[in-house]
Amino acid sequence: MWENIKTFFVGKPSREVAKGRLHLVLAHDRTGLDGGRLQEMREEIAKVIAKFVEIDAEAVEIQIETRNRETQLTVSSAIQPRNA
Amino acid sequence: MGRAIVITSGKGGVGKTTTTANLGTALAQLGHSVVLVDADIGLRNLDVVMGLENRIVYHVVDAIRGKCALQKALIKDRRLDNLWLLPASQTDDKDAVTPEDMKTLIMELKHGYDFVLIDCPAGIEQGFKNAIAGADEAVVVATPEVSSIRDADRVVGLLAAADVPARLIVNRISPHLVKRGDMLSQSDVIEILALEMLGAIPLDDQVIATTNKGVPAVLEGKSQAAREFVRIAKLLAGHEVPAPESVGFFKRIGRVLGLSASPA
Repeated sequence: MWENIKTFFVGKPSREVAKGRLHLVLAHDRTGLDGGRLQEMREEIAKVIAKFVEIDAEAVEIQIETRNRETQLTVSSAIQPRNA
Repeated sequence: MGRAIVITSGKGGVGKTTTTANLGTALAQLGHSVVLVDADIGLRNLDVVMGLENRIVYHVVDAIRGKCALQKALIKDRRLDNLWLLPASQTDDKDAVTPEDMKTLIMELKHGYDFVLIDCPAGIEQGFKNAIAGADEAVVVATPEVSSIRDADRVVGLLAAADVPARLIVNRISPHLVKRGDMLSQSDVIEILALEMLGAIPLDDQVIATTNKGVPAVLEGKSQAAREFVRIAKLLAGHEVPAPESVGFFKRIGRVLGLSASPA
């Protein structure tokens, strides 16, 4: 309860912020992918998806995350309805 | 045949040398024969942390180059019967030694001692490669900070690639900062690094004071950090060990009221 009130007024505890930052930084470190390379990959993947279905290339999202020393790559994209 | 354990961290200043000194001293107190090897060639410090800086004649590079017999380069700690230091050279640089040299040296030491603790330099370059070359296992030291954990993660990856199994010590935990939400807890660090935990050393003024004097904290015994170092040493040596102690509310109240003899 108190934690919730505190979070409401002063924001996330710095411990949580540190954890979030580490998950992200380590995912990049472990894969050797920096921000620029990741964007390049996003664009390439968007092109491949666009060959098969209609998408908004800008809306393709890419994310890397680590859990228990395993790194997962997630690509998500909304597909436009087929033009009749 | 003894075991060679490298104490490493990636980042500098997180307590590798203090950890090496205290674990080694605690293992010797438990009756094991121990040699501490300072692998930080060019920036030696284990000698001053142990308070043995005035007794160095030969060092690790002399021993490797055959300038003296290995036994001559070892300094005996007079406070305990079975504790020795092999100091680093202060004038050579890290390239003075190769991983092959270190493998041979550590193997020779393992024949004479139960534990060979290797104090690794900061970084992940040549000095690190030398320090882990002869090690059977590793202790990774990290403080609960983003930079330290990031570097530790890098080291964990390199140790895995070199087939050196690693366990973790979280150093300088401040329980009240954790409680306030302003410090990563030991379980946060374990979750992030996904490593087996040996223990967590609390931030402790006593360690600073005893290090000033060149006395490992475990020789003065009473501090919380010293007790945790001893517990970890027992764990390393395979003794039965109680769970890490946490200072509970009632115990603290007891201390405030003078009901307990232990220091607050």
